[in-house]
Amino acid sequence: MKRSQQEQIRNAVKFGHTELPDEQQGALRKAIKIEWITIAFLTASTLLVYLVLGNSQAMKAAWVEDMLSLLPPISFLIAARAIRKQPSEEHPYGFHRAVGVAHVVAAVALTVMGAYLIVDSAIVLVTVEHPTIGGFDFFGQTIWLGWVMIGAMVLTALPPVYLGRVKLKLAEQLHDKVLYADADMNKADWMTALAAAVGVAGIGIGWWWADAVAALGISASILHDGVRNTKASVSALMDRRARTYDDTAPHPVAKRLDEYLKGLDWATDARSRIRDEGHVFHVESFIVPVEGRMPSLDQLERARLACVELDWKIQDMVLVPVSALPPELLPGVPAPGGERA
Amino acid sequence: MAKWAGARVLVLLCTLFLLPACAQSMPADPEGTLERVTGGTLRVGASDNGDWVSVDPTREPEGSEAELLREFAGRLGASIEWTTGSEQVLAEELKHGELDVVIGGLDDKTPWEKHAGLTLPYTESKDERGETHKHVMLVRKGENAFLLELDRFLAEAEQSP
Repeated sequence: MKRSQQEQIRNAVKFGHTELPDEQQGALRKAIKIEWITIAFLTASTLLVYLVLGNSQAMKAAWVEDMLSLLPPISFLIAARAIRKQPSEEHPYGFHRAVGVAHVVAAVALTVMGAYLIVDSAIVLVTVEHPTIGGFDFFGQTIWLGWVMIGAMVLTALPPVYLGRVKLKLAEQLHDKVLYADADMNKADWMTALAAAVGVAGIGIGWWWADAVAALGISASILHDGVRNTKASVSALMDRRARTYDDTAPHPVAKRLDEYLKGLDWATDARSRIRDEGHVFHVESFIVPVEGRMPSLDQLERARLACVELDWKIQDMVLVPVSALPPELLPGVPAPGGERA
Repeated sequence: MAKWAGARVLVLLCTLFLLPACAQSMPADPEGTLERVTGGTLRVGASDNGDWVSVDPTREPEGSEAELLREFAGRLGASIEWTTGSEQVLAEELKHGELDVVIGGLDDKTPWEKHAGLTLPYTESKDERGETHKHVMLVRKGENAFLLELDRFLAEAEQSP
């Protein structure tokens, strides 16, 4: 009994000083495993596609996308290591931002490559470059290389879709936006593969432009992913208010927190501002005590602990008793006169 | 997301119906080279280069590659119209569709790759520096049916010299 307890403590995964609940620990372990699988798969598929690349622009775009898809899993794994470090004197907020930094790096790479490939494919189209795809020596038989290309694309189309679906669920449990971006890209991967296959088939029936058009489509989707992720990751690093893992709505924990604090018998009003540090939130809550009476240390401490209990993401939290909510720190709060600031 | 659903289904259906229907005739030539050459004329550009291609103004070009193309033309029931000149001139003419194939003992490192499509390397040779050269012929870019036909012929010819 004692031994297993000790083991549990040793194996407990922490994000900085935030100890993860069982569900999140399991999710993290699974996410790390599946990201390694993703890297293995992508390496194999990048190699396979490279071997049959030929002169197809669409295949080239699909190949580059495969290589770029390696970035999010790699940054996730690096970040997953960095954030375990305890906060230090030099880094009092911990290392959670590693996730955000990884997200920006991956997003910028996507954007640049997407833009480059669009120009590259457009040049092929404008200069009326007919893609040449000839024979392929298949164990002594000369077959059309195009068939091999289509085969490679079909073969690599489906596994990422499965990986993406699994990661999507884990991203929600872990509140991990890099994982979400990664999952989102994987999920759409089959469209890239299919577009490349259609482009090559187009060459096959004599439509030389089909390949370049497919390449343009793939490049546009890479660029789209890149721009969307750059926007999301940069605004997260700019301390945008905490949103859900997929950035669709403000994170519900903010409302729950304020409602709990307002409900305290010694408080009349409360409001928090929350930063998303990566997985965990940093919270500053302002509380207006009843009739301006200063709460006891004990009351403050108990309120803080209760807030931390609300959600595993809340650990790093400060409570500030104020005579009135400061509108300059809490945009959107009515100014003391009752007017909106 | 819903906006794309229709497009996705469309692409999928197109692929499903398109592929088997066209499988027989894939690949095809955008400029119809193979069809034109079969039973017609094969326009060959020959650039003088050692044993591969030897050009003599008084006779038709000779050499191993010239012989290969004579056999290839014979198989397609085509007669050959020879053009001789420097690689540069021939590559330029090939690019503009004035020739169908160019020979000149070229290897797969040829700088004319920009202007032309390359056959699969059909044979290898060693030069006096001990470097290996993989020999290819040039065809007009994108004429994939013609290229595949030539690739198949060269592969067979190499197996049974």
